[in-house]
Amino acid sequence: MTAAALLQSIVASLPEIVVVTGACILLILGQLVRKGQEQFLLSASVAVVLTAAVLTIMLAGEVRPAYTGMFIADRFSVFFKMVFYLATVLTLLLSRKYAEIEGIANSEYHVLLLLALSGMMIMASAIDLLSIYVGLELMALCTYVLTGFLRKERRSNEAALKYVILGSASTGIFLYGVSLVYGLTGTTQLDGVAAAVTGARPDPGLLLAVVFIVAGLVFKVGAVPFHMWLPDAYEGAPTTITAFMSVGPKAAGFAVILRVFLNPLVAASNAWIIVAVIAVATMALGSFSALVQDNFKRLLAYSSIAHAGFALFGVVAGGADGIASVMLYLLIYSFMNLGIFGTIIMMRNGDFSGETIDDYAGLSKSHPGLALLMLLYLFSLAGIPPTAGFFAKFYVLVALVEQGFVILAVTAVLLSVVAAYFYIRIAMLIYMREPKRAFSPALSPLLRATLAFTAAGTIGIGLFPAWFLRLAQHSVFGG
Amino acid sequence: MGLPLLSLIVFTPAIGAGVLMLLRSEGAIRWTALGVAILDLVLCIIMLARFDTTTHAMQFSERHLWVPALGISYALGVDGISALFVFLSALLGAICVLASWVAIDRRVKAFMVSLLAMQALMLGVFCALDLFLFYVFWEAMLIPMYLIIGVWGGEGRVYAAFKFFLYTLAGSVLFLIGVIVLYFNGGETFDILALTAQELPFRIQSWLFFAFLVAFAVKVPMVPLHTWLPDAHVQAPTAGSIILAGVLLKMGAYGFLRFSLPMLPEASAYYSTPMLALSALAIVYGGLLALAQDDLKKLVAYSSISHMGFVTLGIFTLNLRGLEGAILQMFNHGVTTGALFLFVGLIYERTHTRSIADYGGLMKAAPVYTAFFLLFTLSSMALPGTNSFVGELLVLSAGFAANLVVGAAAVFGALLGAAYLLGMYGKVALGPAKVSAKFKIRDLNAREMAAILPLALFVLWVGFYPKPFLGIIDASVKQLMLHVHGEGSVQ
Repeated sequence: MTAAALLQSIVASLPEIVVVTGACILLILGQLVRKGQEQFLLSASVAVVLTAAVLTIMLAGEVRPAYTGMFIADRFSVFFKMVFYLATVLTLLLSRKYAEIEGIANSEYHVLLLLALSGMMIMASAIDLLSIYVGLELMALCTYVLTGFLRKERRSNEAALKYVILGSASTGIFLYGVSLVYGLTGTTQLDGVAAAVTGARPDPGLLLAVVFIVAGLVFKVGAVPFHMWLPDAYEGAPTTITAFMSVGPKAAGFAVILRVFLNPLVAASNAWIIVAVIAVATMALGSFSALVQDNFKRLLAYSSIAHAGFALFGVVAGGADGIASVMLYLLIYSFMNLGIFGTIIMMRNGDFSGETIDDYAGLSKSHPGLALLMLLYLFSLAGIPPTAGFFAKFYVLVALVEQGFVILAVTAVLLSVVAAYFYIRIAMLIYMREPKRAFSPALSPLLRATLAFTAAGTIGIGLFPAWFLRLAQHSVFGG
Repeated sequence: MGLPLLSLIVFTPAIGAGVLMLLRSEGAIRWTALGVAILDLVLCIIMLARFDTTTHAMQFSERHLWVPALGISYALGVDGISALFVFLSALLGAICVLASWVAIDRRVKAFMVSLLAMQALMLGVFCALDLFLFYVFWEAMLIPMYLIIGVWGGEGRVYAAFKFFLYTLAGSVLFLIGVIVLYFNGGETFDILALTAQELPFRIQSWLFFAFLVAFAVKVPMVPLHTWLPDAHVQAPTAGSIILAGVLLKMGAYGFLRFSLPMLPEASAYYSTPMLALSALAIVYGGLLALAQDDLKKLVAYSSISHMGFVTLGIFTLNLRGLEGAILQMFNHGVTTGALFLFVGLIYERTHTRSIADYGGLMKAAPVYTAFFLLFTLSSMALPGTNSFVGELLVLSAGFAANLVVGAAAVFGALLGAAYLLGMYGKVALGPAKVSAKFKIRDLNAREMAAILPLALFVLWVGFYPKPFLGIIDASVKQLMLHVHGEGSVQ
C-alpha cells in the first residue's frame, strides 16, 4: 500500500477513527471523573458522535474505496451511519437519568456504546467478509457487556450469558461460512464471492457456505429461526441498551444483509426465495407471539422481530426501491422505537419499574401529554397513517408490488393487522382503564427534549416523507 | 384562484382541535368546539352556494406535489356527489358537538379534540382527489374513532372499540394493496381522475373489485361483514353513533361510487347481480334483526344495515334512477338515522335505560320530544312527504327494473321497516307510562332543539322539494353513468 493510498484510506475512514479515538480517550479520562460529574461523560460522548457525524457529511461528496477493497465510504454507508449516530445520541440522552437511577452511569457504559457505534459503522462500510466480521464482532462484544450491565440483577446477567453464548455460536457459524468461501473461491471480497455464487455451475459447497453466512447475519437482526435470544436479551438488558439494540445493531445487520444479498449478481439468483420464507416466518412469529406478552420490553422484543420481518420483505423485493424501502424503514423505525422506549425509560423511577404493560393503565388521566406521545408511537408502530410508520410500510409494499410479489404484500399487510392488535391493546390500557397508582415519571428537560425530537420525527416523516424518501433513494448503492 | 376553500374546510376543524388543546376551562372548550364546527359548516354552505350544478367536473380543485418520487400529490376537489357529503359531514359535526354538550362529562377536552380531528379526516376523505391522500384520511380516522368508542362508550366499549378497529383495518389493508396494484397498472400515479380515465384489463379489474369490495363492504357494512356495527353503534357515545351512522357508513358507499364503478366499470357490471343479491339480503336480514331487538340503540343500528342495503342496491342497479336514489338515500340516512341516534341518546341521558320494555307513554311526559321522534321515525320508514320516501322510491323502481326478485325483497324489507319502527314508537311513546312514572322526564331544552331542528328541516325539505339536492348530484351521476355504460346510455 502506497503512502497516498494509505492517506486516502485514512481520510475515508476518518469518522470511524474519530469515534474509536474518542472512546479510548474517554476510557482514560473516565477514571478521573469524580462521582456526581457524569454529565461530563455524556457531553463528551455526544460531542464525539456529533464530530463523527459532521465528518461523515463532509466526506459524503464522493465514493471513497479504502484499505485495498476492504472498506468503502459511499452514500449507502453514509445513510446508515446517520441512523447509527441518531440511535447512539438518542440512547445517550435517554440514559442520563436512567443510568443515574440504576447506578450505571460510569465511563465504561459510555465507552462501550461508542465502541459499539464504531463496530456498526465498520459494518455499514465493509465490503469484504473479513471486515464485516471485524465490525460485527466489535459491535457484538460491546452489546454483550452492555446487556449484562445491571451487575446486581440476575435477569440482566442471565440475558447477557444467553446472548453471549448464542451470539458467539452464530459468529462461529458465520466465520465458518467465510472460511469455506475463501477455500472455494480464493477471495473474501463481496464482489468476487457474488461472481462465484452466480457462476454457470455454482459449487454445492459454496451454497452451504452461503447458508452459514446467512445464518450468522440473520441472527443479528433477530429473524426466525435465530430469534430465540432476542426476547430474553431485550427483557434483561438495561432498558436504554434494549432501546439501542433494537435500533442500532439491527440496522447494522440490515446494512450487511443488503450489501450481501442485493449485490446485483446475487440479486439475479434465486436467493430471494430463502429470504421470503424467512420474512414471512419472522413476521408471523413476532406478531403472534407478541399478542400474549405482558412484559412491555418482551412485547417490544417480539414487535421488533415482526418489524425485522417486514423490513426483510423489502430485501425480498430488491431493486433500487426495495433497498431504499428497507433503509427508509430502518430510519423511521429508529425514531418511533426509540420514542416508545424513551417513555418506558422515563417511567422507571423509584421502585416503579414500568415494565409490565398493566403499569400503564390509566396513564392518560394524570399525564395526558405523555399518553398522547405513547399513542403516537404505538399507532406509528402499528402502521396507521398519518404517522411515519405507515409510510415506511407503504413504501416496502410499493417495492414488493412493483416486483410482482402481490401475494407476499397481502401476507405482509394481513400479518400487520395481527400486530396492530397488541399495539392498540397498550393504547387501550393507557386510555380506557382506571389508574391503579400514582405515576411519577422521571421527567427531566433532556428527556422531554429527546421525546419531542423522536415525536417530531415520527409525525414529521409521516406528513412530509418526500425529502427522506429522496434521501433514501439517492443513498442506494449503485443507483 | 383565490382562497383554497376546500383546504380551509378540511383543516378548520384540525386547527380548532389544536386550539382546544391549549384551553383549560370545560365551558370554553365546549363553546370553542361549537364555534369551530359552525364556522366549518358556514364554509361548507359558502362552497355549496358557489357550486356549479351544470358541470360534472371537479370544482374548487387544489393540487400540490406531496411525494413527487411516487407520483403522490395533495389534491382536493369536489363534484356533485362529494359536495353533498362534505356538507352532511359538517352538518353532523356541529350537531355532534351539541349532542355531547352534557352527555360527555369527563375528559371533555380530549373528547372534543377527537371529535374535531374526526371531522377533519371525514371531510378529507370526501374531498381527496389523490388515492394516497384518500387512504391516509380514510385510515387515520381509525385513531380518533377508536378513542371515541373506547374511552367514552358504554360498558362493553373496549371490546367494541377493538372489534371496530381490527375489522376496519383488516378491510382497509387489502384496499391498500389494491391501490398499489392500481398504481402500477394505471401509469404510476395516484391521481384519481387520471386513474378513472384508464382502461384496465378485465382480469385486473376483477381482482381489484374484490380488494376494494372488502374495504367498502366492511364500512357500509354489507352482510356478512356487518358484525362490528351493532357493537360499535351501541357502545359508542351518542356523538360517536351519529358519526358512525351518519358519515362513516356513507364512506363505504362513497368508495363504490368514486372507485369501484368509475375505475372498474366492467367488473362492477359483471358482478352487479351478486351485489344486488347481497344488498337485498342486507335489507331483509337487517330488518328481521331489528324486529327482534329490545335495545333502542341496537334497533336503530340494525335498521342502518337494512337501510344501507337500499343504498348498495341502488348503486349496483347501475342505472340513473338507482344511482341518484342511492346517493340521495345516503344523505337521507345520515340525517334521519343521525337524528334517531340523537333521540335515543337524549332519552338515555334522562332515564339511563335503553330497553324498549322500560318505556311507555312518553308522549304525556315529553310531548315535544315524542312529536319530533315521530317525524324521524316516519322518515326512517319512508313515509311520503319525508326525505327517505324520495330516495327509496327511486331505488325501488330501479331495483325492480334491474331484477324482479331483488325488487320484491326490497319491498318486503321496507314493510319490515314499518313494522319495527312503528312497533318501537308505539311501545315508547304510547300506552301507559312506565319509566316516566319513576323519573321526572324533562322535555327538550333549547340546546337540544337547536340540534334537532336543522335535521327536521332537511327531512321535510328533501321530502317535499328534492329538486335542489338531485340537482347537485345530477351532472356527476350522469357522467358516472356515461363512464360505466359508454355513450348513449343516459336516457
